[in-house]
Amino acid sequence: MAAIEIQGLTKRFGKVHAVTDLSFAVEAGRVTGFLGPNGAGKSTTLRMLLGLIRPDAGAGLIYGHRYEDLPHPSAQVGVVLEDASFHPGRTGRNHLRVLATAGRHPTGRVDEVLEQVELGPAAADRRVKGYSMGMRQRLAIAAALLGDPEVLILDEPANGLDPPGIRWMRDMLRSQAARGRAVLVSSHLLSEVAQSVDDIVVISHGVLRASGPLGQVLGASNNGARGPVTRVRAADGDRLAALLRGRGITLESDGSGVLLARGVPPEVVGAVAAEHRLALVELGAQSRSLEDAFLELTEDHK
Amino acid sequence: MTALLHAELIKLRTTRTFVALAGIAVAISLLLTALVGLLSEPTEESVLIDVFASDVSGFFILVLAVVGISGEWRHRTITSSLLAAPDRLRFLTAKTLAFAAAGILMSLLISIAVTILGLAILTVRDLPTPEAGELADLAARNALVAALLGAFGVGIGALVRNQLVAVVGLLVFSFVVETTLIALVPEVARFGPFTSLPTATAGISAEQAGLGDELELLAPGLAVMAMLAWIGAAFAAGAVLLQRRGLE
Repeated sequence: MAAIEIQGLTKRFGKVHAVTDLSFAVEAGRVTGFLGPNGAGKSTTLRMLLGLIRPDAGAGLIYGHRYEDLPHPSAQVGVVLEDASFHPGRTGRNHLRVLATAGRHPTGRVDEVLEQVELGPAAADRRVKGYSMGMRQRLAIAAALLGDPEVLILDEPANGLDPPGIRWMRDMLRSQAARGRAVLVSSHLLSEVAQSVDDIVVISHGVLRASGPLGQVLGASNNGARGPVTRVRAADGDRLAALLRGRGITLESDGSGVLLARGVPPEVVGAVAAEHRLALVELGAQSRSLEDAFLELTEDHK
Repeated sequence: MTALLHAELIKLRTTRTFVALAGIAVAISLLLTALVGLLSEPTEESVLIDVFASDVSGFFILVLAVVGISGEWRHRTITSSLLAAPDRLRFLTAKTLAFAAAGILMSLLISIAVTILGLAILTVRDLPTPEAGELADLAARNALVAALLGAFGVGIGALVRNQLVAVVGLLVFSFVVETTLIALVPEVARFGPFTSLPTATAGISAEQAGLGDELELLAPGLAVMAMLAWIGAAFAAGAVLLQRRGLE
């Protein structure tokens, strides 16, 4: 059974279709990136999964149950939402005490999670109104970890974190997945997601565009309408370009001597060069970044 | 439910609002007691209400309850509250019980302070003092009023999401609308939840409370029933709204 199952979720706000028939799954022991442009419906999807917004159709299930039907929700699911808010007059420690009490977690967990997110005693005993954005985000993550949950759902968790904080969060996500936890993380910081996730789900305008293991989705994108792209540089670049064009291969040059051969894999380009005894300086598949794939998957639907 | 109730009480204890408003309530109650005790000449029959009925906890817990629940929306802590307690009815019930309990606590604190000060002043002035049983009975009735108003405030706060509108509306209804109704249509105003019913529940007559002799207050038992009806109506309406509201 998948840790999280989104089954045909649909939500309209007036005339706006926020999410349409969205389905995907998140497995235990993996970090799944949930990507989409602003307004794509990510937060609405997460809020429907958590019972904060009622869907028009479909369901979001956590280990087969709706969030509100879980026997001990905060021990099973840890949540960081994008607009994580705290009473400004309450200290960070007291905020966690409230949540630990409501969730029936041992009060000792408060100090444990504060230590885990590296919020020291002085910061923990300060009122939240004096917190920086990064400290608020750490506090939100501490709250999510209180119940040592099997499932972590994080909406833009890197917001406000400085580079060491982002790295800490990335390591934390990986360690949670390594412990068998399911982690669903939405983020607009694609480079961070690329370094942290095993699987990705891409949505745009509330509709699923792609989902699966990161490499598979990138590959599918790479081999989409434009086919594979090979990056090649030869000692005699002009001659190689003429030979490849003679075979009907479309070429682009980046101006530094590198040719990008579209629609052919490196094996074909290498074979042409070998056939004519041309020395190659560089040959390989042009890897596409997550950003490229993301834009490709979402740009057609604007 | 116990865990949620406990969590709500921690919420109350861990902000300055509760401490500040409770402190103001104690100070005002003590000031009234001191002024009346020092400046009036109460008789044996009138001393209990004249000197010891200055508990203003009911009004303050009502304001605190409205601020407490509407603050969940203002500070957007409602999301984390409902993630911890997805059953919204249980959440609202816990909040209602917490403010009822806080009302009792605040009222008892004020009663103790007022009793000590009032007895001290009356003793020094060699004036009659009420019996301990009468004082205990008044303290219990005031605590009941505070509990009912605390619970009622949660219902109001659940209905009116905007904190400023909720508090201003509460003040307008308490000091303008109900007071006007008492003057113009006392037969309707006797069911008013902000002044008439709390006064009746505390066992104080309209005349003793300075509400005029036109107003005929309900008997204490009936007043409690009427207050419970108000609380039930506000709670039910607030619960329906809370269930329907999405947290976008």
